[in-house]
Amino acid sequence: MLKYVIKTLWRHRTRTFLTVSGAAVAMFVFCFVGSVQEGLNRLSNGEDANRSLIVFQENRFCPTSSRLPQDYANQIGKIEGVADVMPIQVWTNNCRASLDIVVFNGADPEKIQQNRPLQLVEGDWQEFESRRDAAIVGKNVATRRGIKRGDQFSIGNISVNVAAIFESNVPAEENLIYTNLDFLQYTQGLDSAGLVTQHEVMLNNNADPDRVAREIDQALRAGPVATTTRRKGAFQASTLADLVDLIGFAHWLGFACVGLVLTLVATTTVMSVEDRMKEYAVLQTIGIRPLRTLRLVLTESTLLCLVGGLTGTGLALLALSLGGFAIGAEGTTIAFQPSIDLLFYGIVVSISLGVISGLVPAIQAATVPIVKALNQP
Amino acid sequence: MALVELRNVCKSFTKGDQTITPLDHVDLDIEAGDFVSLMGPSGTGKSTLLNLISGIDRVDEGSISVDGVGVTELSRGKLADWRAKHLGYIFQTHNLIPVLTTYENVELPTLLLRLSSAQRRQRVELALEAVGLTDRSNHYPSQLSGGQEQRVGIARAIVSHPQVVVADEPTGSLDTKTSEQIQILLQRLNQELDITLLMVTHDAEVAAIASRRLLLDEGKFVEQNTDTHLKSSG
Repeated sequence: MLKYVIKTLWRHRTRTFLTVSGAAVAMFVFCFVGSVQEGLNRLSNGEDANRSLIVFQENRFCPTSSRLPQDYANQIGKIEGVADVMPIQVWTNNCRASLDIVVFNGADPEKIQQNRPLQLVEGDWQEFESRRDAAIVGKNVATRRGIKRGDQFSIGNISVNVAAIFESNVPAEENLIYTNLDFLQYTQGLDSAGLVTQHEVMLNNNADPDRVAREIDQALRAGPVATTTRRKGAFQASTLADLVDLIGFAHWLGFACVGLVLTLVATTTVMSVEDRMKEYAVLQTIGIRPLRTLRLVLTESTLLCLVGGLTGTGLALLALSLGGFAIGAEGTTIAFQPSIDLLFYGIVVSISLGVISGLVPAIQAATVPIVKALNQP
Repeated sequence: MALVELRNVCKSFTKGDQTITPLDHVDLDIEAGDFVSLMGPSGTGKSTLLNLISGIDRVDEGSISVDGVGVTELSRGKLADWRAKHLGYIFQTHNLIPVLTTYENVELPTLLLRLSSAQRRQRVELALEAVGLTDRSNHYPSQLSGGQEQRVGIARAIVSHPQVVVADEPTGSLDTKTSEQIQILLQRLNQELDITLLMVTHDAEVAAIASRRLLLDEGKFVEQNTDTHLKSSG
């Protein structure tokens, strides 16, 4: 009977094509919005969100305004529960929300290698460590900006030599460029020597992050600059607070897309069924059960949704994988990444919408008054 | 016991303020292998009778049984199952599924039976051979003439080897020549395949091919024998 359903859809191919296209566009947007949401969730709840702390200058938000002594790392390192401390100088081309943000993190290459989940896909660590102006570039930035190994990449007053391109299982990392700490401090002027934007604190497995954060702020209170220490996830969520509101709004856009697919496919299926009431009466006269008639219509609407949904989801995943998209603010970026979860949601949502949108016309077809429908011209 | 038995069957319709009762406590027996034609003026309930026997319409009163199965007792779903196995329906306007080929249209009822694909293929081929359309099996209804479409409709009605086939004015939309071909085909099906046929027609010449002729008038059957002797059976 699947042949009948497919041939029926093919009979009205313009209508089918338009419906599938509409569903594909809506599911494309739905997946894109979903990937933003996923990116934000990864930042707030990722593996290192609760096992790392960020020490930032008190009451400062933008990386350009936070200036902490680099030697705070020694004091922080002595606190119980701290496994390692990585002083980081952050530089960004745009402190406000941007879709093409470039963020430099200057840190000790050895510590980067130890503490960051990075895999070099081109180039090697040795070149990065040995050359002062060397940088390793995240895959997404490289894709977005067309950067290759060996290029000289300049932005603002920073110019780096690309020693390697890396990928990471933490998508936000792929939107960063790592340089030597000294180099990045030097480019900010002589008065920046010995100063960093933040300290990233890696915790021991059994350490209580909130206790360690309190103790860090307490210990540094007597220093020249007061600090605010938060879990990395909380720090990133707070940094991106303005964007979080926007992403929350975009979430509704995703729901609107679901509604759009539902309305579109339901309208097409109702039209198709109402045109063919006599046909359904004939099918039941030759012995097709009402329940089977119901299934035929549901299969039709589900196929429309599934083909459209899979096309839209597939295109969205392709665009996400090739585009290297990210949105960022104040040195923190949200990466838009394709994922198995998105594919799964795309399929589940498409099938569910197909069934729901076909339900009313399916009941109409299954309960058609046979004799009345057969007497239609 | 007759193959088809109608007992005390009543069916009324409401049209505006009026209640019309085309079938008023009628009884009818059709034996296995009979070819029955049913004539009568418009609106006398001929098609209604076919619809009631087929179970696509419901009686107001009375009972209908086919080969001992109480058609009037079955639910809509069970009626569909019963029709798939035991009843073939030939429509006046063919009512073929336009997106399916001749072969697929004829195959459709067999998909509802427990048959292997080889058995299905064999039945479809035999049915198409019986109506002389083997060479048109890949054609769509829009590529067939009216007569060919009706023959596909007939093949579809007989492919599941039903106990009874009902035909609602099978020649009603055909020209004289094609109508004659269909009459011959129906006669052959009855005589050679021993199919029990109940046919509604307006045309006395078409009705004449049946072995038993009934006239439905004012809600009652009148038997018209070949010697034109009339017998009331209502």
